[in-house]
Amino acid sequence: MPETAIRTQKLSRRFGNLTAVDGIDLEVAAGQFFGFLGPNGAGKSTTIKMLTGLLAPTSGSMELLGLDFAAHPVEVKRQIGVVPEGMGLLERLTGSEYLQFVGRMYGLDRATTQRRANELLDFMQLADRPKTLIADYSHGMQKKLALAAAVIHGPRILFLDEPFEGVDALAAGALKALLGRMTERGTTIFLTSHVLEIVERLCSHVAIIHKGRLVAQGSLEELRAGISGEVGGKTTLEEIFLSIVGQDGTERPHLEELSWLM
Amino acid sequence: MADVGPSIGILPQIRAVAGLRWRILRNSLRKESHRLHVLGVVLGGILSGIVVLGLCFAFFAGAYACLSEGRPGWIGLLFWGIFLFWQLFPIFAAGFGASFEFRTMLRFPVNLTAFYIIGLAYGLADFSAVASVCWLASMTLGVAAAKPGVLPAMLLVVALFLLLNVTLERLVGSWLERLLSRRRTRELFFALFILSMVSLNLINPIVNRYGALLRPLASRIIPYFSWFPPSLAGKAVAAAAQAHFGGILAGSLGLLLYAAVFSFFLWHRFAAQYRGEQLSETAAPAPAVARPVANAGDAPDRLSALSPQVAAVVRKEFRYLTRNSFAFFTLIMPPALVLIFSSQFTGKHPTVSEHPISPEMFFPGIMAYLVLILMAPAYNCFAFEGRGIQTYFMAPLRFRDVFLGKNLMLLLVLAVEIGLSLAMLAWRIGLPPLPVLVATLAAIVFAVTGQLTVANWSSLNFPRKLEFGQIRGQRQSGMAVLMAFIAQIVFGGISAVVLFSGRWTGNRWLPAEAFALLAAAAVGGYFSSLDALSRLAEQKKEALIEALCR
Repeated sequence: MPETAIRTQKLSRRFGNLTAVDGIDLEVAAGQFFGFLGPNGAGKSTTIKMLTGLLAPTSGSMELLGLDFAAHPVEVKRQIGVVPEGMGLLERLTGSEYLQFVGRMYGLDRATTQRRANELLDFMQLADRPKTLIADYSHGMQKKLALAAAVIHGPRILFLDEPFEGVDALAAGALKALLGRMTERGTTIFLTSHVLEIVERLCSHVAIIHKGRLVAQGSLEELRAGISGEVGGKTTLEEIFLSIVGQDGTERPHLEELSWLM
Repeated sequence: MADVGPSIGILPQIRAVAGLRWRILRNSLRKESHRLHVLGVVLGGILSGIVVLGLCFAFFAGAYACLSEGRPGWIGLLFWGIFLFWQLFPIFAAGFGASFEFRTMLRFPVNLTAFYIIGLAYGLADFSAVASVCWLASMTLGVAAAKPGVLPAMLLVVALFLLLNVTLERLVGSWLERLLSRRRTRELFFALFILSMVSLNLINPIVNRYGALLRPLASRIIPYFSWFPPSLAGKAVAAAAQAHFGGILAGSLGLLLYAAVFSFFLWHRFAAQYRGEQLSETAAPAPAVARPVANAGDAPDRLSALSPQVAAVVRKEFRYLTRNSFAFFTLIMPPALVLIFSSQFTGKHPTVSEHPISPEMFFPGIMAYLVLILMAPAYNCFAFEGRGIQTYFMAPLRFRDVFLGKNLMLLLVLAVEIGLSLAMLAWRIGLPPLPVLVATLAAIVFAVTGQLTVANWSSLNFPRKLEFGQIRGQRQSGMAVLMAFIAQIVFGGISAVVLFSGRWTGNRWLPAEAFALLAAAAVGGYFSSLDALSRLAEQKKEALIEALCR
């Protein structure tokens, strides 16, 4: 297994005059639980879309599991799983039908697909509604199904865009345990979330993107040391995040303007 | 402590809602990407205005004539026209127009009375209501011009008629909303609607055949219509014209009673909505269902000849077809139309014309018509994928597999439809001579396969999302429609020339031979286009995802 799961070099994406992602150099080691953070509109989802083949970069290169994405897109896709922004579900299928569809699209045989689909539906507590269409699922149920679809083929890298949004505490706990076990067995997980407590609890390494540029990258300890100047400090990820992203003052709320509310 | 806003009266709230409706309309026109849409709306507005204005003159003249020429009873017919338009047009618009969900007003501190009034005011702002009010005003002017003494009674009747209509329209709309809140019912409703529109074609043959039997029945039913609101309004005005006070009172009381009954029901409907009635079907708690141990993996795969990816797409397409009740029901249309056409234009039906069309001409024509109808959706074949389109780009596959799966499913549908239509034709008029039959079937292969290549290209270049099982607010991709139109003309034109070449040369097998060659070329072209389309899909994926994930 290669040591680096994800490596990007000068990865950029422009939309007309707007540079959404501006020459980022990411490096994620295999088996890491990697948190990718940034304020709204920073370029997180654009980066994930490029890393998963949903969006072509304007410039730069991406290597996943040692393979150049541009040269080997099918090989790379075979080894990654994605919960994209908006989940990308085919809403007029039932949960079971969708998992079987996805399994077959990843080339699994019917028996394996069926078995894994059943196990995943049980695990995600979606098995008691076999005839319900995905369109009629709640948001949390759709999220769980998207997660199940992302892992049905046993990916080596898992990209999760806000995976716990709308998922109840019980299921979130089970999912976190599952994701933890996956990383122990060598799966790399690349996660974005606005809930910094979750990232702090799950991720060993973090990168922060702000206005399209990578402004910090490293282990949580390294980031803490970078902020407080001491190793083993108790600075929280939220404090790290605010100190890095809020440095230019543009993100700070001006509460005094809302005096009528207080 | 936060400053809580002061209590607000009903009128400012109604004014705010009226302003909201205006802004929604204005902002929808401001979208730069919809310039053609704006043009369409403006042109549509001008045309509608002309129609409404023209009918204003007609209603004025009609009312004036009824009273000045001593036939006041006929004014009821004018009320009937307005009544039917006011009540039926919004039902059509519910299917084809975009609307604003006024129940969102419940988020705000609105009391039930204000909610009811806002609901009624919404009814008065509809196109059907505005047009009807204009026509009623024209009728009032016509009556006043003919017999000024009838004006007070006319004003009373018009006021009651207006109240009754707006209340009934909101009531029917509210019941319809309840009926259509479930996806399945909605899809069935629209499918039945389309089928009933198609069935109108049967009226002529039925009237021709059974008209004599229906006439006495109609004359027995018509008197009962005098108890309906438009007849009551007409009778009240006619009574006023004859200075018959009792008639005015009876007609007006009848209208008032109708208005009161409709108001009672509408109040109850709005009260239920006000209390928070939730009509959507999303995520209702359901009891756990024991799932049988699945053994589908052990069953033989009927699609084992296909690659797993192509088989998966075919299965998905089949499921989507069966769940899109609207699309599924419209598959009944082509054979139904074949039946109607064969009844009207050929030689075995009692209502047939004197010069029936021969099977030799009719058969290729009807098959071309079937291809025309059934191929149209292929030009925007990702329309119903929605966000699911991302699955195709995330999965490790070549896009040719997606096209193959989708096209195979379409071919299957075409085969079934053409088979059914063939059987229908064989039953009604008989099959054409063998050279024509073979030439037509080869022409279908040529036209369908050739069009599939163009349609796949069009689907990648001009995608537009369509909501599943709905017509409401749906708009096809304009360019996809244009592409379909051009391709159909080209392939239809070539086919017609080849078909007629048999007649011109006297060689009856020539078209079949030519179509066999063309079909082989089209099939070869189709398969060689798939890799190029895969590359194009990769280039177009951002536009595709953006268009379908909105």
